[in-house]
Order: sequence, then C-alpha cells, then structure tokens
Amino acid sequence: MDGLLIAIVSGVANGAVYGATALAYNAMFSTSKVLSVTTGHLAMLGGVFGAWFITALGVPAWLALALAIAVGALFGLLTELIAIRRVLARSDEHLWLLSTLALATMVSQAVGLWWGTEPKPFPRLIAQDDTAGPLDQKYWLPVLVALLLAGLLELFYRRTLYGKLFVAMSEDAFAARARGIPTDLVRAASYALAGAMGALAGFAAAQLTFAYFAIGLTLTLNGFIALAVGGLGSNPGALVGGLVLGVLSAVTTYFIGGEFQQTVAVGLLMIVLLVRPQGLFGHPDVRPV
Amino acid sequence: MPRRPRWRHVALAAALWLAANGAAAQSAIKIGWLSSLTGPLSSAAIAENQGVQFAVEEINNAGGVLRRRLELVTRDTASDPTKAVNFAKQLIFADKVDFIIGPVNSGESLPTVPIVAHAGIPNIVIGTLEELTDPKKYPRAFRAINTNRQWIQPANHYALDVLKRRKVAVIGDTTGYGTASAKTATELLEKAGVTPVYSTLIDPNKTDLTDELNKARAAGADVLMPWSAATGLLARLLNTRGAMQWNVPIVGHPALMAPPVKPLLNKLEYWDNVYAAGYVSTTYDAKGRLPPRTQALMDKLRPRFGGREIDFMFWWVALGYDTVKIIEHAIKTAASTDPAAIQKALENTRNFEGVYATYSWGPDARNGFPDHSIVINLGGSFKDGSYRAAPLR
Repeated sequence: MDGLLIAIVSGVANGAVYGATALAYNAMFSTSKVLSVTTGHLAMLGGVFGAWFITALGVPAWLALALAIAVGALFGLLTELIAIRRVLARSDEHLWLLSTLALATMVSQAVGLWWGTEPKPFPRLIAQDDTAGPLDQKYWLPVLVALLLAGLLELFYRRTLYGKLFVAMSEDAFAARARGIPTDLVRAASYALAGAMGALAGFAAAQLTFAYFAIGLTLTLNGFIALAVGGLGSNPGALVGGLVLGVLSAVTTYFIGGEFQQTVAVGLLMIVLLVRPQGLFGHPDVRPV
Repeated sequence: MPRRPRWRHVALAAALWLAANGAAAQSAIKIGWLSSLTGPLSSAAIAENQGVQFAVEEINNAGGVLRRRLELVTRDTASDPTKAVNFAKQLIFADKVDFIIGPVNSGESLPTVPIVAHAGIPNIVIGTLEELTDPKKYPRAFRAINTNRQWIQPANHYALDVLKRRKVAVIGDTTGYGTASAKTATELLEKAGVTPVYSTLIDPNKTDLTDELNKARAAGADVLMPWSAATGLLARLLNTRGAMQWNVPIVGHPALMAPPVKPLLNKLEYWDNVYAAGYVSTTYDAKGRLPPRTQALMDKLRPRFGGREIDFMFWWVALGYDTVKIIEHAIKTAASTDPAAIQKALENTRNFEGVYATYSWGPDARNGFPDHSIVINLGGSFKDGSYRAAPLR
C-alpha cells in the first residue's frame, strides 16, 4: 500500500510538471496558434540554469530562481523572434513546427555541450531530510507551482488590461490588429511569459528530474499530451490533463511495468483524439458560415 | 676549382631527403572513428577519444606503421544510430578508410556493424551486446571490449557465491540495451538455479523509484542487480534505497560506480554496499598499485589532463588506446592493409598485450577480451580513474 501511495504521489508531482508545461503551451498558443516544440526546453532551462546559479556561482536560491526565470523569459522571447515571427509573416502553413523543432534541437545540443550530457544534482531549496517520503519537497513543490501558475494566469487574463489583450488576440488576431492592438508586441510578450512560466516549473521540479539537458523533449511530448487531454486553450484542462497523464503513467508502471509507460501516454492521447478531440475541457471548433 | 652552383646542393639534399622519407610520404592509413562525442551517451566516448587520439599521435611520432602515417577520420554520431549508419557509409564510400573503430554504443553498433562488414572493412567493435560479432556474418569485425555476458556473469557470481544471496531483484531500463541486459542477467541467474524474486524494466528518466523498491522489498529481495548505463536512474536507485533505510546490497552494471553518480547522491554513504563489474586493468592491488601497463599510459597522459587526478573512468581511455594499437599490430603482422590479410593477422593473434586487456582472437573467435580481466569493484572507491576490488569475504 505504501508503494502504491508513493507511486500516486510521484505521479501527481510529475503530472503537475506536465500540467505546468501545458500552461506554457497555452500562453504561447493563445496569441500565435502555434504549439512550440521548445516548450519543454523552457522547463529544462529553468532546472539547468537554476542548478548552475546555485551550485557553480553560489547565488542564493531566491536570486537563482529570479535569474532562471529571466533566462526562460529571454529564451521565450528569442523563440518568438527567431522561430515564429518571420515564419508566421510569410506562410500560413505549419512551418512553425519545423522552425521550433530546429530551435529546440539547437538549444538542447548547446546545453548538452556546455552543461554536459549526464544529469547533475539540483540542491535542496528547503532544509529537509531525504527520508520524508510523500512529504518530500520534490513532490509538493511542482504541485504548488503548477497551481500558483494556473491561478495567476487566470487572474492575469481576467483582471488585467494586458491579459485582455491576450484574450482578444486569442479570439481573433485580425480583429485585434484592426482595433489597434500591437499584435507582434503582444505575441512576443506571451512568449516571454511562457518562458518565465516554463522556467519556474522546471526550477521547482528539478529535484525530481535532476538538472538534465535531455529532459526538454520528454516534457515537450508529455506537456502536449496533457494539453490535448485537457483541451487546447483551457488552463484548468491543462492541469487536469497533466494530472491524468502523471497518475495513469505511475499506476500503470506500478501494476504492469515501466516498459508500458510510454505506450500508456501515447495511448491516452490516441483515445482522447478519437473520442473527444476537443479534450476534456475544450470546446469543439465551430466554423462560422 | 670552379664552385658548383648552390641550387645543385639544394637539389641533392632534396633528393636525399625524398629517398629517405619517400616511404613516409606514401598515402596515409585512414582510420574511421565513429564516436558519440555529443549526445546523451557521450561520457565514455569522450574518454575513449583521448586514448584513440593519443595512440595515433604516439604511433605517428614514432614514424607511423610500415612507414605510413595514421590518419584519424573522426565522425561524431551524437549517440544517434541513424547518424552512425550515415557516417559509416561516408567513411566507407567517400573517405575510403582502411579501418573503422566503433561505434561506441551497442544501439548505434547494431545497424552499423553489418554495413561495415558488407563493405569488407576491418572493424574494431567496442559495443558489448553479444550480437555484434559473428565470424560468419561479420568476419572482419573483431571485438576489443568485453561482452555484456562477461560483465553479468562475474556480478552474478559475486551476488550468489560471495555475498551468498539467493533472492535477486533484476532491474533493467526500458532502452534496448537495458532490456537485453536484464534478459541476459535473468537467463544466467536461472542457469545458476536462481529465479529472480522480482524483475522490472524502468524508464531511465523515471523520477522516483520508491514504488519499485517497495515492490522488490515486498517480494523478499536480498540483493538488487541493476543493468542500466543511465547514471541518473542508478543514482535514484541508490538514493531511494538510502531514504528507505534498506541496506540491501546492490551488484550490477559498471555505471553504478561512475563518477557522475557521486554528485547525484543525497548522502555519500548511499554508495556503500554497492558492487559493480570493473576491470583488472584499472583496479588497485593490495598495495594500492595499478598494473604497470595502465600506470605507464596514465603517466604519459596525465600532462594532457592538466597533471591533476583523473576524474573519469580510465578504462575507457585504455580501451580507446588499445583499439589503435590493435590496428597497428594487425598491419605490422599482415605487412599490409589488405582487409583479407588483416583478418588473417587478427585471427592468428594470441595474447596481444594491451593496456585495457590482453587479447586473443581465432578463426571462430571474434571476442578478444578474456573473462579473467573482469573484476568486481567496490562502488564508492573511485580514485584517480581507478577502483579498489570488492572484498572476497
């Protein structure tokens, strides 16, 4: 029973990381209708740079967190400038898939060359022995951050003028531009915001994932599955989707074995796409005529 | 007496130099080196590359082989089997190399070795999966590294006969290598009359192993035997065992004692009661000395490492060094680089003394690494690139 409990706790923590990654997807998608392959790498950067600031440079944890978030925001901004803006301006086709994949590969390789290809430790953020079991900070920190991100994002969208600009662009980018909204600027801001969110999630989860260059692609895939399960564009859906994926993977591994973990994840995606393509919290596309 | 024009002296000197060095000016012997210098499996390859490069430089500085220079053509496969295959084809058909070393990892070697074999190029294999050598299918592929089985058998022996454990939990990872290794480990245990009480395959990026170890404990396991090269997974295994305060011995893959594991441990004592397959060539004797050939290579290379203690597994360097020395030996024995002659030379090689091991191949034997060159090392005993032997209590 203890084993199942810890498996579920671990699944919830991992699900929170997937959910936070899905939130970053949503922030970028709202203004650009792009599902950037770099999304998981934002979290990877948060973990790697957080570890580097704390362990190599000796920076206090709170400052390391701020700097890691800044690195994530900067990379988000660069993603928009390098891989999105020109591609969207020149083509309606899904070429952004290739441009963001290229950028994600480049950043992953660059971090691998600089940081090394072996996982490295992420320091304890709060003094706590490693025998705390399900109460260990590595489990609840990602959950806390995911909930915080979802709450703040909802407040931002509903209560602030800038948030309403995001929503306006999400509804109809052409109409927003016609109304004088600087859509390029808003889109760039949304990528910076997603970068900051991803880096924060990666920083909070790095005790669980280690500071590891290869984790980006895993999070990109699992974050996307969480998004598809929860419903594209829905922030509560992103969290629920992440949770479903994390717990289902953990329980499957517990009862059947690790070799089926990926099959379950991709199988879940297939089932949702076939049965409810708009996801649990999404709305079916209605084509105006 | 009229003086000869100065240009005649110059021409004479040039002619003499050419006569003396004409052989050395012959075309170089090209060695293709397929190495995963970047990507997730680069640690071993980077160390091996040090040995390969040093051996080539050393041989060239001594005048080459048969008075021909060695030219190393390195291709970074980035731990990607597709790139390994493409680079192998490039080395064979565009660069026209005489030999190929590698690829480094079994996953890259599985699709690459048949292509090199089909082209008839002599291939020094440094992947451990059994399937990579076959005197009939790949007659010119000669393995320098041990096989997987040669790691697993001594580890099984240590767990069963030295530690006297019978309730084994076999833990593999979900990669091709981890799956194949766990299967081989289980087969060999069953051959020894022991059926594992618990077997599992774990995603190498799985973030928590408490559930797996709880299940192993509930199954009654009294020894854990992990077969995975993923240092992150192995560190999590040690941390989880420590956090559970379960002092069960762990015996398994060499990566258990790899230096990258150390910083990932929550407490250094979590490395206690850990035993892993290692090499006689990089194991200190009772007086703290290394075998002379290892020590000599280490002394020669240490200035390149900044004169300080070596912080990676030195056996990878020794293996890389030996691959080039094996090629040198084959060329000298065959007195040519003709692939058929090289094959014959290696087939007739007995007790060729390298640093990593002493090798012997035969007409039907393509695995040159001897069983007795494997030893079980103590997990946390890493010092200056080498290890202490595990106690034979």
